[in-house]
Amino acid sequence: MTDLLNQPSNSQFKFSREKILAFTLILPSLILVFITYLYPAIFTFVISFAEYDIIRLKIKKFIQFKNFEFLISNYFFTSSVLRTIYFGFLICVCTTILSFLIALLLNEKFIGKAFLRVMIVLPWAVPSVVSGVLWGQMFHADTGFLNALLYQLGVISGYKIWLADPLVALHIIAIAEIWKAIPFMTLFFLSGLQSLPSEVFEAASVDGANVLQRFSNILFPLMLPIAIPLFLIQFVLAMKSFDTIFVLTRGGPGGGTTTLNYFIYQEAFETFNLGRASAAAYVLLIITLAVVLIPTISRFLMKFFWGNK
Amino acid sequence: MKKNLIIKNFLIYFSALIVFLIMFFPLYGLILTSIQPENIIRSRNLSFFPTEIIFNHFAEVLKPNHISNIYEGIKNSLIVSFLTSFLCIILAFPAAYSLARLNLPAKNIILGTLISIYFLPTILFVIPLFVILVSYQLDDTILSLVVPYTAFTLPFVIWILKSFIDKLPVEVEEAAKIDGCSTLQLLIHIIFPLLRPGLIAAFIFAFILSWVEFLTPLIFTNNLKISTVALGLFRSTIDIKIGQQAAAAIITLIPVIILMIFFQQYITKVVLSGSDK
Repeated sequence: MTDLLNQPSNSQFKFSREKILAFTLILPSLILVFITYLYPAIFTFVISFAEYDIIRLKIKKFIQFKNFEFLISNYFFTSSVLRTIYFGFLICVCTTILSFLIALLLNEKFIGKAFLRVMIVLPWAVPSVVSGVLWGQMFHADTGFLNALLYQLGVISGYKIWLADPLVALHIIAIAEIWKAIPFMTLFFLSGLQSLPSEVFEAASVDGANVLQRFSNILFPLMLPIAIPLFLIQFVLAMKSFDTIFVLTRGGPGGGTTTLNYFIYQEAFETFNLGRASAAAYVLLIITLAVVLIPTISRFLMKFFWGNK
Repeated sequence: MKKNLIIKNFLIYFSALIVFLIMFFPLYGLILTSIQPENIIRSRNLSFFPTEIIFNHFAEVLKPNHISNIYEGIKNSLIVSFLTSFLCIILAFPAAYSLARLNLPAKNIILGTLISIYFLPTILFVIPLFVILVSYQLDDTILSLVVPYTAFTLPFVIWILKSFIDKLPVEVEEAAKIDGCSTLQLLIHIIFPLLRPGLIAAFIFAFILSWVEFLTPLIFTNNLKISTVALGLFRSTIDIKIGQQAAAAIITLIPVIILMIFFQQYITKVVLSGSDK
C-alpha cells in the first residue's frame, strides 16, 4: 500500500497492466465469438452478391444484386416475409398477454403455488423436437386428442386433418411456440411484479380504485418498461423459430408454413443455392434489426416532436 | 369483505387449475400415448385416463436397432452437452469477471454486442460454418457440434455469470488483494467457490440449451453414429408408430426435466438477478 502511495508512476503502470489483464481474460471468448459469428456474417454478406459453387466450395462469380432481385420478384419469398412478420407478431402478442396473466396469478398467495411454478417452467426445457412431436400428436388426424374431443362434443362431424390446411397449420405451429415461450416470459414478469412496492396497491385500494382501474392506472404503466423489451425479444425469437416448423410441417402444405428462416434453410441445404440463401438471410437480419430499432427510433422522434412524454 | 375474499380465492384456484391444465396437458397427453397399446391410441373412444398400461413402447425404442437409435443419441448428447457446458464455463468465467470487476475498455459495447448476437438469426452464421466444416472435412464430428454450441451459448453464460459476480461483495476481493493475492489466485481460490450458485445455474442453462439444439446437428451431421438425441427423435417421426414416438420423446425429455425440477431455484435466481438492473 505504502509503495503505491510513494510511487505515482508505478500506479499509472499498474492501471494499464490491469487493462491488459482484463483484455486477456476476455480474449478467448472474443476469439471464439469472432470465429463463429463475425467471420461467418461477413462471409454470408459477400456471397449474397455472388453465385456460390457448392461442389468446389468457392465463389463462381459476382452477380451484384441479382440474388436480391430474384428474391423480391419471387412470390414464394415475399409471401414468406409477410408470413414471418405475422407469425412473429401473433406469437409475441399472445405470449406477452398470457405470461402477464399467469405472472399476476403467481404473484398471489395460494396453496400449491410452488408446484404450479415448476409446471409452468417445464415447457422451456422441452426440446422443440419433443414439443413438435407432442403437438403433432395432439392435432393428429387419426389419434389426436383434439379430434376425439371435438367429435365427442359434436362440434365436428368427422375427423379433420388439421395440418393439411396451411392457415390452420401455421396457427398450430404458433400454439406450439407460444406454449414453449410462456415459461420464460412469465418468470421475468413475475420478478418484475415482485419488485414493485406493495404500498402502491394498498394506497390505491384504500382510495377505492376497483380492479380494472388499478390495473390500467397503476399496474400497466409500471409494467410497461419490462413488457416492451420482453415483447421485442419474443418477436425476434419467434421470427427465427425453425425446429417446430421442421418437425410439424416442413414448411408445407404448399409452402403455407414457410417462414423466412425456413425459406433460407431450404434454399441453403435443400437446393444448395447458398448465394440466394445468404441474400435472404440478410433480409431476415434487416427485419430483425427493424423490429428492435423501430420502437427505439419512434420513441426518440416522439420525444423530439412532442417533448418529454 | 369476507365474501369478497371467498370469491377472490375461488377465482385464484380456478385460474390456477386452468393454467395447470393448459401448460401440463400436452405433456400428459404424451405420457398417456407412450404407455397405451397402439390399438387403444388409435381407437376413437376418448379417454383422458389410461385404461391399460404397458411399457412395450419404451422397450421397443430402447432396442439397439430402433430407428431413433436412442442409446447412441443419449450418449452423444451427453458428451456434447457436457463438453459445451464445461467449455462455456471455462471461457465465460474469466470473461465475466473481466466485465464485472476489471477496468476493461469499451465494456458496455462488448457486453451489448455479446448479448445482441444471441438474438440474431442463427441461420446467418450456419451457412458459412457449414462451408468451413465441409472444406476442412470436420463435419460429422463431435467437434463440429461442440464449437458452434459453445459459441451460441457463450454470450448467455457470460451474462449470467456477470450478474452473479456483480452481486458478490467487493470487500472480500479487496481484502484478498491487500493480502497480496494475485488476480489469478483470486479468481481460482476466492471468486470460484463464492460463485458456486451462479456456476451451477450457468452450467444447467448451457446443458439444456445444448440438449435441445436441433438446427446445428441437423445440418452439420449426417452420420447416424454421432446423431444427437433430438435428431434421433426427429428420425422416429418418419415412422408411423405413435406410441414408440411418444416413448422416444419422453426418454429425450427425462434428463432435462430432472435438471429443471432439481435446480429450479437456480433458474429462478438467474431471472431475478437479471431483472433488478
